[in-house]
Amino acid sequence: MTTDAPQKRYIVATDVGGTCTDTIVVAPGEAFIMGKALSTPPNFADGVLDSIARAADQMGLSVEDLFAQTYLFMHGSTVVDNTLLTRGGAPTGLITTAGFEDTVFVTRGAYGRWAGQPEDWIKHPVASDRPAPLIPEDAVCGVPERVDYKGAVLQPLDEAETERAVRRLVGEKKVEAIAVAFLWSFYNAENEQKARDIVKRVAPEAYVTLSSEIAPVPGEYERSSTAVINAYAGGIANRYLTDLKTQLGERGYSGPVMVMQGYGGLLPSQEAADRAVGMIECGPAAGVIGAKALGDLMGDADVIAADMGGTTFKVGVIQNGEIEYAREPLVDRYHYVAPKIEVVSIGAGGGSIVSLDPRTNVPRVGPQSAGADPGPVCYGRGGTAVTLTDVFTLIGYMDPDIFLGGAMTLDIEAARAAFKAQVADRLGMPVEEAAFGIFRVASAQVTDLIHEITVERGLDPRDYVLHAFGGSCPILASSFAAELNVKRIVVPYTAAVNCALGLVSADIVHEYSVTTTLPGDTDPATINALYAPMIEKARAQLAAEGFAEADTALDWSIDLRYARQVHEVTTPVYGVTPMDGAALKGLIDDFEALYERKYGKGSAYREAGIEMTLFRLSASGKLQRPDIEPLPLEGPDAGHALTGRREIFVDARNGMAPADVYDFTRIRPGNEIAGPAVIHTPITTIVVQDAQRARMDELRNIVIDFR
Amino acid sequence: MDPITFSIIRHRLFRIVDEAVITLKHVSGSAITNEGHDLMVSLYRADGSLLMGGVGFLHHLTSAAEACKAIIRRFEGDINEGDIFLLNDPYTAALHTSDIYLVSPIHHEGRLVAWSACFVHVYDIGAMNPGGFAPDAQDIYTEGFSSPGIRLVEKGALRHDVMDTLLNMVRSPEMVSLDMRSMIACNNVARDRMLSLIGKYGYDTVDSACQELIDQSEELLRQRLAELPDGQWQSRQYLEVKDEVYEVFLTMTKKADELVFDFTGSSPQAAYSVNCTKWASLGGLFAPLFPLLCYDITWNEGVIRPITMIAPEGTIVNCTRPAPVSVATVGAIQSVNNAACSTIGKMLESSGKYREEATAVWHANHFAIFKFGRNQHGGEAIGIFTETFAGSGGARTFADGIDVGGEIPNPISRMANVETVEAGFPIRYLFRRRMTDSGGPGRYRGGAGMEFAVMPHDSPDGGINYVISGKGADFPMSDGLAGGYPGAPNRYVWVHNNEADADSRNVDPRFARSLDDMPGEQETVTWGVFPLMGEDALYVGWNGGGGYGDPLERDPEAVLEDCRTGVVSARSARDVYGVVLAEGGGAVDAAATEAARRSMYNERLYPEAAE
Repeated sequence: MTTDAPQKRYIVATDVGGTCTDTIVVAPGEAFIMGKALSTPPNFADGVLDSIARAADQMGLSVEDLFAQTYLFMHGSTVVDNTLLTRGGAPTGLITTAGFEDTVFVTRGAYGRWAGQPEDWIKHPVASDRPAPLIPEDAVCGVPERVDYKGAVLQPLDEAETERAVRRLVGEKKVEAIAVAFLWSFYNAENEQKARDIVKRVAPEAYVTLSSEIAPVPGEYERSSTAVINAYAGGIANRYLTDLKTQLGERGYSGPVMVMQGYGGLLPSQEAADRAVGMIECGPAAGVIGAKALGDLMGDADVIAADMGGTTFKVGVIQNGEIEYAREPLVDRYHYVAPKIEVVSIGAGGGSIVSLDPRTNVPRVGPQSAGADPGPVCYGRGGTAVTLTDVFTLIGYMDPDIFLGGAMTLDIEAARAAFKAQVADRLGMPVEEAAFGIFRVASAQVTDLIHEITVERGLDPRDYVLHAFGGSCPILASSFAAELNVKRIVVPYTAAVNCALGLVSADIVHEYSVTTTLPGDTDPATINALYAPMIEKARAQLAAEGFAEADTALDWSIDLRYARQVHEVTTPVYGVTPMDGAALKGLIDDFEALYERKYGKGSAYREAGIEMTLFRLSASGKLQRPDIEPLPLEGPDAGHALTGRREIFVDARNGMAPADVYDFTRIRPGNEIAGPAVIHTPITTIVVQDAQRARMDELRNIVIDFR
Repeated sequence: MDPITFSIIRHRLFRIVDEAVITLKHVSGSAITNEGHDLMVSLYRADGSLLMGGVGFLHHLTSAAEACKAIIRRFEGDINEGDIFLLNDPYTAALHTSDIYLVSPIHHEGRLVAWSACFVHVYDIGAMNPGGFAPDAQDIYTEGFSSPGIRLVEKGALRHDVMDTLLNMVRSPEMVSLDMRSMIACNNVARDRMLSLIGKYGYDTVDSACQELIDQSEELLRQRLAELPDGQWQSRQYLEVKDEVYEVFLTMTKKADELVFDFTGSSPQAAYSVNCTKWASLGGLFAPLFPLLCYDITWNEGVIRPITMIAPEGTIVNCTRPAPVSVATVGAIQSVNNAACSTIGKMLESSGKYREEATAVWHANHFAIFKFGRNQHGGEAIGIFTETFAGSGGARTFADGIDVGGEIPNPISRMANVETVEAGFPIRYLFRRRMTDSGGPGRYRGGAGMEFAVMPHDSPDGGINYVISGKGADFPMSDGLAGGYPGAPNRYVWVHNNEADADSRNVDPRFARSLDDMPGEQETVTWGVFPLMGEDALYVGWNGGGGYGDPLERDPEAVLEDCRTGVVSARSARDVYGVVLAEGGGAVDAAATEAARRSMYNERLYPEAAE
């Protein structure tokens, strides 16, 4: 994996998001090169090549020239999310344990109806349905078989009945993919594997997913749902990655294609192709990895990573250098289980529409969005509904003349007229004052979301640095960060392509796990015996990928809980592995501390004893990447970047006040700027509030401190 | 107050409740709290009136308000910062003894400014049967620990004497202790967050926002009521216990912007523990009212003001001490829920503007079955079958009810996975699936309920026992709307496979796929404590939601689809919906269907001629 590095110097990383496809090119001793193009669903590969071409352009190279010198291509794509969102997956069937055919449809009762939904939905049951299932109800076949809670086969698979089921699904129901999900298969996969053999024999062209392979964890509803999603989107993900690899090859790239997973690690494309669910929300996951990489570089172990674009505000947390994983992930309202970095979001972005409740006049920002087209009123592209970006314009945060580096001008008068009619007049307030209010409502919505994933989980925002990414976040960050009382704000140099930066920062990571319940006082030898086969498999896999043993790491972690409690906490093994008595004791102590931190003081229930339920192995191969070289710091004076002065809304003064306006591209490392000020970058605006001080650090990040 | 500050404070109040709920679930860790969401947290004003109702078991929003008021009356002058009070006496405010309220005063700069209150269904309360529901109870004295108000935490310090006295009277005291701890933690979080809200905006601003919020809710509900037609709607709900049948009779009168719920005509109080105290009935009628009429209005005191309840003393909806009430929450409270849902549905249905908000009755009949005994790991296990929280949706005026779609009074419940239950109890499921013909027929069908069967598996004692306080096996309870039929009744069957004679065993009962597959004699069980041993099975089927409109008007293609998925039987398609399927069942026989429906209409018009 590292042998080509001396001759070929570039790493190219491309992230396909919902709106834009971002590329970043990294080489030793060179500044990051960034490229941005529009995403091109459903043929996402076109956008990937466009985006790479933009980056190559800036280097004065053709795509072919760039690829000739590239040794690693890293990739994240929204292709699976998009397949689910557009219901564009393959016709899929499900084979399950007879008697339990309805498991995926009944979603553990109302759970599938309310999960992930906001307050106003939950309070209105008459108007709230489940999403339509991904598979037709008559494409589920129950077959006789049964395994019990300890993995004993009570009833072997009825093979004749299974064969009939496959013929019916493929013949009558015309399915192209089949998910197999039996009770307790994560303990004993024998019956599922037999069923796959039958599918392979009877319908060799069908795409098959076994629940015991894609989600080997307890809980048949979530496991079955995962198998269905993977089967549904698997064919498309597979074709997409194969096709992309071919297209890259045609343009001269011959190295490996590494694909981002929702847990923040990369997998070689051939392996990723069979794990469609692994690619769900891998872009936001990469964003958190990017924030972690930057946090590591800057010496910040506790980071809140906030990304606000046109339609959504997304936030993830890095605590003490560790990333938080989601417990009950959803994709487009469907439950699935796969290790996934926790990223929560609300429908609030620059394009979010500002509305007033028709009866009470209570204002609200989002979740409806004007999107990029027609977009905000001030874009002058036919948008008529007032958006948050229009509000930013009215309170002086946007420069009407040099928006997007001068690519576009903003129609401030149109925004004012629309805002007056739709919002200010109805509130009985002057335009400016109403605009301040709407700005504060947006800030409060975002603050509440961050509160939810920090304070409500026992984390104190005052210990955290806030990273603000995306087109809209640096505008709002200085206000909500002050309310959250974070340590400081960092607007990364790569804010516009943060997810692509995350790809470059990630390593190859394979995840393995074994589910079984053992008491906390188990002999460590028993635990080590569970790990032995996983380690063997992991070593073989990494060796096959060309990693020298020195470049690999095997990290153990175990899910523990208090007996008779439902909450499990994944606890890393920090002691020696294979484990000895001291390592196990350390693990138990760490679990107890983690549990109290997560669920609050006094929540631990030691009297009932401790159980271990899931044994995880994370096997990583470290990729070689160039170090980022710091630039020399200059003096604090930023006068050379000052372009003018203009009135902007200053939160603490609750009114407009004169502020300095700076051009980001002229600011040099070491320069300092006192608020109130605005800094215009080619893609966004950074607002520095009163009593705040911004400086550019040696990596060209803008760091905002509170005075 | 400016609408922006108002909007932010309103949102923050909701977040406070939400965060407190999360704390409660985290600390409790029990299945009934975490899966069933059988809990509630709300904020109350200084006088005990409801300020912000949380999304939990909605029966409790009003009775916890009464609990705050009862504490104020009892402890006036002696309510201090950092105190937490416990109240669970149903004749003072609670619904039944096992739903314990912990209420805490919130003081700001020495002044009492608000209350927080929460409940969970505790693991056990020391009633004569384990788990809290006591079908064998004769009176309140046999239903466990009960307090009209006691100080559990004094100025921030736990009163160990009080806690130990409580724990001394219950089974599994360590689990109850955890429940208590979770509620203390929850109230502490609510208090801290409320104080930081006041710290940020100032007491006066927060207080006037709260006042305005309540006034706004009242005004919005009154406006809505004024838009609805005046009139009177009735509902009768029957519930049986053993050989007794009780009736909850509700007349709802809407005039201008007020609603009166009058239970005059309901049965005298029961000898069994299904009774409601008046607080339970009040809670029972508000539980559906919040989501059905106030889905876009903040749930607080303002919503309560336009509503009056009349519940004659000595009846099943306002029993007098010492009548037993431990089964109330799945007993007469549900009948009150259903009757209120039904009358509100009828009112909404008769309005042009609000017709789409009308619904037939949802999951009308909880089955509280607590299994208890030694499990396969050698530990003691008590737990409810959380399937009862899976529910079923009532049909709407524009769509079918949601199959296994939950219930109205507890909007965010769920059931446990089969694997979760099998891991902790010495039982094994034979099947768990939607029950054919369970959803009430109608132009729009009620959502289906489910059926499951369990059998002992790897039990060290050869099986386990269960407490059942079942009802609704004789009478359907999820009423239809506008000509829709009710959902099917519940079924609870003890299948005596152990005694089945070898010859009749054409199917191995251990792998039976349906109730009919099982060789043993079937005995209906509804009330009491029963064993589940050897190869015997317990079968439970639960009601679907009520239907909407005449089933003869249902689109025949929709009936065909229901037959295809097994939600409706071919026989019901023919006899109830008048839909005749072509040979093989793959298509609708349009001509035969039209003829069948015509003759069914005729039978209705001229029943004599048909005989």
